[in-house]
Amino acid sequence: MIIEETESIEASIDRVWQGLNDPGILKLSLPGCEDFLVREENKFEVVMQAKIGPVKARFRGEIELSDINPPNSYTIAGSGKGGVAGFAKGIAKVSLSPGNNSEHTEMKYRIEVTVGGKLAQIGSRLVSGAAKKLSDEFFEKFRESLTDTGKDLEQEAPG
Amino acid sequence: MYGFKYHRPQTIEEATKIFAACEEGSYLAGGHTLLPSMKQRLAAPTDLIDLADISSMRGIREEKDCVVIGALTKHEEVASSELLHNAIPSIADLAGNIGDAQVRNRGTMGGSIANSDPAADYPSAVLGLGAVLVSDKREIEADEFFLGMFETVLEEGEILKEVRFPKPEASVYKKFPNPASRYAVVGVFVARTMGLVRVAITGAGPCVFRAREIEEILTKDFSAEAIRNVRLDADLMNDDMHASADYRANLCVVMAQRAVRELI
Repeated sequence: MIIEETESIEASIDRVWQGLNDPGILKLSLPGCEDFLVREENKFEVVMQAKIGPVKARFRGEIELSDINPPNSYTIAGSGKGGVAGFAKGIAKVSLSPGNNSEHTEMKYRIEVTVGGKLAQIGSRLVSGAAKKLSDEFFEKFRESLTDTGKDLEQEAPG
Repeated sequence: MYGFKYHRPQTIEEATKIFAACEEGSYLAGGHTLLPSMKQRLAAPTDLIDLADISSMRGIREEKDCVVIGALTKHEEVASSELLHNAIPSIADLAGNIGDAQVRNRGTMGGSIANSDPAADYPSAVLGLGAVLVSDKREIEADEFFLGMFETVLEEGEILKEVRFPKPEASVYKKFPNPASRYAVVGVFVARTMGLVRVAITGAGPCVFRAREIEEILTKDFSAEAIRNVRLDADLMNDDMHASADYRANLCVVMAQRAVRELI
């Protein structure tokens, strides 16, 4: 399934680009993210506690950045394994363009989500809703952490 | 499934006390969503608090202008209730078409409502009738209760005790079921009281919602013809292997028309 959205963020394009590459901000923005470790350049290991309705499970996953074209676009790919439950993969192409003024940025993203194993079998009717919900949460927190309201958030986060 | 402690409290007070004391507790009603999730190791509560013995949370009774249904009342009990067949037959009909006989003999009304599955049937009756949800702490209006996919205003540890459904002049629930699971691909609940019309739709979006545009038209002109040209926003609809978003958007209007025709 595919999610396509355009978000308008009140921050300069350089600031948004910096945020998209900052492990601290990405960790804050990823819903339920407990660990976000830099493994090598542009490769990260994450631990996420997913909580959607009855599902409450910890997933381990990898995130990789590629097609990096600062400060305009990149591709962020994540994959996670949920043990016997199956796996989930997501690839997001993110591109930025200047908004109405220097303190505005238009962010376009296109996310492709694939789910396999039992997770797909039992959850097929819920996957799109869940993916939409998680991506909305991600971009809401991302926006917050770049604008003023996000300052409190950053202070709360350890490391 | 991972190991867990099993509790079987006799009262609501006892249940909330156990919940507050355990590391990661989960209440168990009919268990139709929770237990499969646990079996897949997608959920691992340390403590399972089975509400089955709390008899005060079961049963159906009539009050002046409404029917009160205990949260632990099973779908089958609702479907076969004579009281409901006389007072609000649409609820009995809705319950009688949930899943299959096994599901209806285990699943509970409160479990379905508190879970807020996008395709559950009960939330449409709650919202369509403008019911009041009574928890161990407070009373909540239906319009405030459902927040999103699997999300309600219920807080951690809060228990939904019973639901007060006001008696409408007329109401009906029309569902387009998935042929295998009987989940609502789209389900439309239409209720009419003192000239006002409420229309609640389940299955179509991430969570049950009121179709205000359809309500407004039907309040002025209660006919299937009047809502024929309504187009709901497909961007807000679920899209999965069972039905596309466009299909669902269209189906909402089709099912609303069927509901209206039945009420005329």
